[in-house]
Amino acid sequence: MTAAPAPRTASPSRATTTPDLSVVIPTHNRAASVRRTLEALAQQTYPAAHWEVVVVADGCADETVAMLHATASALPVRLRVHEQDGQGAGAARNAGAALASGATLVFLDDDMQPAPGFVAAHAAIHAGRPEQVALGPSWPVLPGRLDFFRIMLRAWWLDFFGALAQPGYRHTFRSLAAGNCSLPAAVFARLGGFDPAIRSSGGEDWEFGVRLIKADVPFAFAAKAQAQHHDETHLRRSLQRRRQEGQAEVVIGRRYPDLCPGLDLARIDTPPSRLDRRLRQLAFAAPATGDALARLSLALLDELERRRLRRPWRVLYGHLRDYWYWRGVADEVGSRAALAALLQGPAPADAGREIDVDLGAGLEAAEQRLDRERPAGVRLHVAGQPVGHLPAEPGAEPLRGVHLRSALATTLADRFLRVLAVQAATGASLSASWQPILSGASPSAGRQPVRSA
Amino acid sequence: MATAILDLDVERLPEAIEGLDRYATALALLRLQGTPCGQLRRPVVDGRVDVAQLRDEVIAAFGWSLARRRLQRQLGWEAPPSAAAGGLPSVTVAVCTRDRPLALAHCLEALERLPDDGQELLVIDNCPSRPDSRHVVARHPRVRYVVEPRLGLDCARNRALQEARHDVVAFADDDTAPDPGWLRGLRPNFADPLVMCVTGLTMPLELETDAQEWFERYSPFGRGFERLVLDSSNVGPAHANRAGAGANMAIRRTALTAVGPFDEALDAGTPTRSGGDTDYFMRLLAAGYRIVYDPAALSWHRHRQTWADLRSAQYGYGVGVYAAWTRNLIVEGELGVLKAALGWLRYVQLPTLLRSLLRRSGRTPLDLLLAELRGCAMGPVAYLRTRASLHGRASSAV
Repeated sequence: MTAAPAPRTASPSRATTTPDLSVVIPTHNRAASVRRTLEALAQQTYPAAHWEVVVVADGCADETVAMLHATASALPVRLRVHEQDGQGAGAARNAGAALASGATLVFLDDDMQPAPGFVAAHAAIHAGRPEQVALGPSWPVLPGRLDFFRIMLRAWWLDFFGALAQPGYRHTFRSLAAGNCSLPAAVFARLGGFDPAIRSSGGEDWEFGVRLIKADVPFAFAAKAQAQHHDETHLRRSLQRRRQEGQAEVVIGRRYPDLCPGLDLARIDTPPSRLDRRLRQLAFAAPATGDALARLSLALLDELERRRLRRPWRVLYGHLRDYWYWRGVADEVGSRAALAALLQGPAPADAGREIDVDLGAGLEAAEQRLDRERPAGVRLHVAGQPVGHLPAEPGAEPLRGVHLRSALATTLADRFLRVLAVQAATGASLSASWQPILSGASPSAGRQPVRSA
Repeated sequence: MATAILDLDVERLPEAIEGLDRYATALALLRLQGTPCGQLRRPVVDGRVDVAQLRDEVIAAFGWSLARRRLQRQLGWEAPPSAAAGGLPSVTVAVCTRDRPLALAHCLEALERLPDDGQELLVIDNCPSRPDSRHVVARHPRVRYVVEPRLGLDCARNRALQEARHDVVAFADDDTAPDPGWLRGLRPNFADPLVMCVTGLTMPLELETDAQEWFERYSPFGRGFERLVLDSSNVGPAHANRAGAGANMAIRRTALTAVGPFDEALDAGTPTRSGGDTDYFMRLLAAGYRIVYDPAALSWHRHRQTWADLRSAQYGYGVGVYAAWTRNLIVEGELGVLKAALGWLRYVQLPTLLRSLLRRSGRTPLDLLLAELRGCAMGPVAYLRTRASLHGRASSAV
């Protein structure tokens, strides 16, 4: 590494009153992209006196810094620019947060184009509310005719945010996509910010997500804090990222052994197919051979795409993704023996508290109890008869009442109906709220049912 | 003998169903709270359907799914479609028609019964030879009338996409009668930005003749009573007709920029006879978009009444499927088409043909099958010729 130039910070424009919100943007050699982000920030509906922008140019060798200084005057809000040598996104966000003067921090990536109501939405969701992390949806914008990979990528992002938006979604540390999120600066400082030692993509926000969940900071979906995400990821880069995810999961597993059962790491001995088993062996024992095979497979993927053969393409891509994940794991952990030792490490002291809840008294009572007690898991009954189990999940937020509703309506519906029916038949006293479900089709006359006669 | 069509709410079954003296059987559409949830066929004896038996059948066949729906309703959890980036789009209803004023009149009456959610009503009169359709539309002041002079259903569809003032165009065939809840069933599915097309359940408006019975049995428009979300991860584009049919479909207008217009060498009014909808579904799936089939979007279709019309429709269906496949093979390079064509032949067409030749019970009339097969054989030729002549016309016009 070269010697770091001394960090320079400039505040070229408009010092007004102290802003109550700071948008922090880390960027690395993407002048055109970050300019687009700033142009979108110039169109915000939120009053300019109340917020500021901090851009951290992390190891930029292109014209980013010059562009930033030239753009500052066109922005209606204060723009602060901080330069540092390349230290990674986590460190850049920390540096930005240290400079920011707002009580609320909004982290925004340099490939985002926020909607005009973006800043206002992030500000509103924290105003007068208890501490929480707000996650905004970043809708992928992928121009032109998409290849198979980018079709998959677009659907993946849409489904990711679609799931977060569901009222009964149970957040995990993986919900934290740092490209569009906000939280009180006090919470960020208390938790110590992102871990700058995790350089790999995706790892630093997951690790921060773990600490937020462990500190019981609730996650909220900010539906109106929308941005368009000009995602330039392509097939080859996605496989590199998968390797970095493997590395990151080892770091997380080492640091938080209680999360190991929920990481992909834990599935080392249950590969989806025999081929995957062989590939995992190669990733640990003969990476040179594995890498050569992977390179050949990439050429084959291109050929399958040319012939528009989706299913074989998807199967092969799945194998490649699996290979590169384990390649990343092997990078970080060294050997299968070391991985086994990591997985068999000291049993987690606290798997999370589980409680028993009887649904016979109605949904509201059960929901209130979950909202009050926030257990890690719950066993559900009706008059002593088991209905189902929402288990403690490593890395997931404690349960809330709304999780109960979504589980009863979907995964537990069949079992719950059976139990209700049995209870009703045996004359158990049930809450009035369950009665309409059990009452059968009741005849009533009057309506002319015949369409054509 | 004919089949009576019933429309029943399972929570309010009538005490008696009588006066069906002309019918041998009854086909009942079952709804829960207005939403279609299943169908049943029951015998008609002395003009009556035994309601007690009907109720038993309803409980046996649908008791479980009804209980689930009641539970979800009680929980306030009516399967929310995936999260929207914005609100729901507004809708233009378009009816593409050609020289069928009577059918059009019925269709427009049904459309006037839809609750007003701000939808625009649009009639595209395709290359009319008489002014009758214009006169029909004149009786409906809310309906906008546009003539598309170039002959072909896909030309009319493209015109509708251009003319529409709203973001989604819901197409209703002129021989359909959309149910009052039709648009409210279609629209929520567009909350997912990847959904470019939504199709609905199409039930028979009447089954009065053998031809109508066989159409419903052999190639029904309906795709069942469960909502389906299709994309290229769960259905190959070559199988796109699983999504439903153009008689009851809505398209997001941005599809025009995403995959281009309907192929004007396809569908009614051209030698390819049909397939414009199927081809469009294929292209949307291939480009990574989603198509939702939602039975809540209910419409009623008057099937062809005469056997000659049915046979001709079956021939046209065969031509259209193969024409659309031909297009996707040569223009889009979709090799999966070959596999789909072989699969249809081997697992559906040949076994059906065999049963028919062996005179097995429940066999399909041979002439229908042969008409379809002849159509399939004609499909590629019809497409290539029509395409060539369109190109010729386009270049001579320059």
